[in-house]
Amino acid sequence: MKKWLNISAFVLILALLLAGCGKSGSSEGGGASNAAPSGEAGAKASEDSGKKEKISFVHWRGEDVKVFDELIAEFTKQNPNIEVEQNVLPSEQYLASAQAKLIDGTAGDVFASFPGAQFETFVKANLYVDLTGADFVSNYTDNLIQAGQKDGKQYALPYQLVYNQPIYNKKIFEKLNLTPPKDWDGFLALCETLKKNGYIPIAFPGADIGPGQFINSMMMNNNTDEDIWNKVETGQAKLTDEWFVKTLSQIKELNDKGYFQPDSLGTNKDIAGSLFSQEKAAMLATGSYMMASNKQQNPNLEQGLLAPITVPADQAVFEGIHTTTFMLGVNAHSKKQDAAKKFVAFLSQKENAEKYANETGQLVTVKDVQYNTPELAESAKWTDKHTRFQPRYLITVAAIEKAVTSAVQNVIAGADPAKAAADAQKVVDQNLKK
Amino acid sequence: MKPGKSLYLFVLPGLLIYLVFFVYPTLQGLVLSFSRWDGVSEKTWIGLDNYRRMLTGDDIFGKAFTNNLKFMLSVVVFQTFLSLTLAILLFKNTRANIFFRSLYFFPTILSSVAVAFIWGFMYNPNVGVINNVLGKAGLNVLAHNWLGDPKIAIYSIAFAQIWAHTGQMIVVFVAGLQAIPHDLYEAAHLDGAGRWQAFRNVTWPLVAPAATIVAAYTTIQSFKAFDLIFALTGGGPVYSTEILSTYIYHTAFQGSEFGYAAAQSMGFMVIIAVITFGQFKLLRGNRVY
Amino acid sequence: MNDGTKRARGARTGSVGRTFVLVLFGLLVLLPVLVVVLATFKPMNELFVNPLGWPKTFTLDNYKEMIMEQSIGKYFMNSVIVTVSTIFSILFFSTMLAYAIYRFGGWRGLTLYGLFAAGMMVPPQVNMIPIYELVSDMKLTNTRIGLIAVSIAVFMPVAVFILSGFLKSLPKEMIEAASMDGCGEWQAYFRIVLPLSMSSISASAIFLSVMVWNDLLFPLLFINSNDKKTLPLALLQFQGEFMTNFPMIFAGVILASAPIVLAYLFLQRYFVEGAIAGSVKG
Repeated sequence: MKKWLNISAFVLILALLLAGCGKSGSSEGGGASNAAPSGEAGAKASEDSGKKEKISFVHWRGEDVKVFDELIAEFTKQNPNIEVEQNVLPSEQYLASAQAKLIDGTAGDVFASFPGAQFETFVKANLYVDLTGADFVSNYTDNLIQAGQKDGKQYALPYQLVYNQPIYNKKIFEKLNLTPPKDWDGFLALCETLKKNGYIPIAFPGADIGPGQFINSMMMNNNTDEDIWNKVETGQAKLTDEWFVKTLSQIKELNDKGYFQPDSLGTNKDIAGSLFSQEKAAMLATGSYMMASNKQQNPNLEQGLLAPITVPADQAVFEGIHTTTFMLGVNAHSKKQDAAKKFVAFLSQKENAEKYANETGQLVTVKDVQYNTPELAESAKWTDKHTRFQPRYLITVAAIEKAVTSAVQNVIAGADPAKAAADAQKVVDQNLKK
Repeated sequence: MKPGKSLYLFVLPGLLIYLVFFVYPTLQGLVLSFSRWDGVSEKTWIGLDNYRRMLTGDDIFGKAFTNNLKFMLSVVVFQTFLSLTLAILLFKNTRANIFFRSLYFFPTILSSVAVAFIWGFMYNPNVGVINNVLGKAGLNVLAHNWLGDPKIAIYSIAFAQIWAHTGQMIVVFVAGLQAIPHDLYEAAHLDGAGRWQAFRNVTWPLVAPAATIVAAYTTIQSFKAFDLIFALTGGGPVYSTEILSTYIYHTAFQGSEFGYAAAQSMGFMVIIAVITFGQFKLLRGNRVY
Repeated sequence: MNDGTKRARGARTGSVGRTFVLVLFGLLVLLPVLVVVLATFKPMNELFVNPLGWPKTFTLDNYKEMIMEQSIGKYFMNSVIVTVSTIFSILFFSTMLAYAIYRFGGWRGLTLYGLFAAGMMVPPQVNMIPIYELVSDMKLTNTRIGLIAVSIAVFMPVAVFILSGFLKSLPKEMIEAASMDGCGEWQAYFRIVLPLSMSSISASAIFLSVMVWNDLLFPLLFINSNDKKTLPLALLQFQGEFMTNFPMIFAGVILASAPIVLAYLFLQRYFVEGAIAGSVKG
């Protein structure tokens, strides 16, 4: 027994010592999970007599880590006194985990944010350094950085441009002589043809992002009022109004006719994506951001973007849905704002944005960028079309957004559209914007 | 012997850490429950408004509560029954038994993120194991939308929870069973008792304290269950797997309503307390205090 | 004689049924794990096409990447440090607390017990933000010490609960006997109560280790830099926004669990002996 106690005491002390060492060790070199900068840069840095600053870059795109690492290595070459450590927080919990860390300044000297509700929250929290007038702002295409503006001030710079509408398999369409339809009947006929030929018409990730993405293109022409969601949130409009019930019933129609894969509500975006890349499904109800990873899984894919038009062709106002996201901001609570700004400026440079775009497969909002992949060239065509800023992001009350996406899931699970709308409206009534 | 003064020293260090890092913040949470706070601006006192809303003006709260009950009941009943049965089969320290115990314990070691990844894969409709196996065995009719069907999703998750934690409960039961003196069984056998009677008269009363701990702990654990549900379904589809803990998290961190979330947490605590005490009453005769 | 054969026959059929049940549950436990292990040897593309079968393209790349690029060893060490420190501290404090509760009895014991038992029912959402603010004010965010301190406070109630329960089942005469020998509280604690509680201390240690090891919430809240991340947090990090590389994550899961399983296999003898010793001596 004594032996047990002695061992325990020893281990306890040892553990506390290790933990103690851990604490003091924390101030030394971090960022170890990134590829180490080349030996040269390291040596240069240690020769430098200047102060070494380490800034933290918080974002959610795990799949971009390697590309950022390369960009960071280049940045450190140009700015030997500044080290950048990436901190990736998963996108579902991003708002939750980011906010606390950003506020006390311990992380995220440079950080990314989503537009819409998250942006509003961060602005209210005074988290952004006002970037209006900074010279790197002019590197961006004017009308694409509005999502990061409030009251005339530029708080954040949207870096990515994405189209939140379904991707389609060009080769399958060609084989069956299909073209993106211009109205609802055309869309139904297209799906029917695909189904008859043994394809899943639409791979729908109902378990995570499907409802929130697909609702955009489905409602964009059913209700063209850009202010509609604000009206719903303040009670001036209701989900039980005709336009929303119609949207739900159209989604239900797609499901009931068998145009979604079985158990769509249990399918997440990765599985849906793989159905598409394996060419079992002809369309994927997500957005342009998945084109790169689809191509990675199947290099023979040829992809394009389309959007279902839910009204007769002559009534259609919008052709698609766009979002400017991954908004870069400098943390107002950061003690290293100059270094942070330098990093943002670096990313805003044409060459770097171009490298980012071509290697991650995302369109960017920086001007004069040349795209050299077929997917990006395809998506870039949409900048000339009349698209609507993603309506769903204009819902600022989280509970209401959840009610909307749940209503979509509900009709797919079999509920009657009017009832699903009514159920969702009850939640809205309990959560109206104050 | 009267308790010595030095007992206060026994209490001091642990109590101090507990008070500072746990009790005090909890009290702050209580104060928060009477306020409105979005995490950023000033906190505004609003009295009982949060509580009123929780009890009368929040359908989702009611739904989360019902889901929680479904989840908890299925987990507690099956996990307790299963772990006790297996513990009885395995309480002798033979090599085979030790092997089985280690095997069953294995899932407990996995982090819930890992368990969620594994079962997400198993339940997957297209590439997952379960439907695949059923299909190959010609039992396609048994295939379900395990996580996509609002009616059964919560039970599918309960199954994963049981899978992950039964091994842990077996350990507790084995400890309890092994504490029962062997002579009692000898005596019972000499009196002509069969296996079932021996169980009823010797095992059950003496393993009851362990059973109480297992049941209470499983109840609280499954009521609070967060990681698994969060990682597997995030509360959907259509709120069917939203339980109180995930709902509170969503209210706080997606809705930025920390005051309301605090009030919900208080309600949550009360519910847990009621259920736990109710359970103690049920397993009478083994009240710990 | 009759009795003997009947018993023997009953034992045999019982033992067939018993084996069947054990093997069945064993399979249930193993199969998901096996599928996952197989998956770690497949490249990501193959997994979606061939989820169940033997890897068509057997590859060790997932493991290589995990160990070398992703430095999983570092996350493992962090989990070890945090878990070991927390568990030992908790056991240290809670055995003393349980002993005090046991010895005080009356209203003092009840209050103490209630204070901790109630803590078990407090969901983390209630105090997580206030705890964060507290830790932040103490400048302990992103430190292992901060995380450990909070973990100790948060998980202590469970240990106190289990240990108090166990102590209550001990006969009071023991302490009487000790006092007659002229023992003070400390000696009674060290020489009598503590050795007797070994089985329940082991059980608590197992519970707690698992909970602390797997905790995601507090590391997520407090730890920012990669070099301090614990395993669950690091595994979560691999979930890219739109790509979940199952084989890689599974490789991480296997690597993360293997040492623990080994430790358990070795320590299990320890725990079993402890349990036996506790009951025989008692």
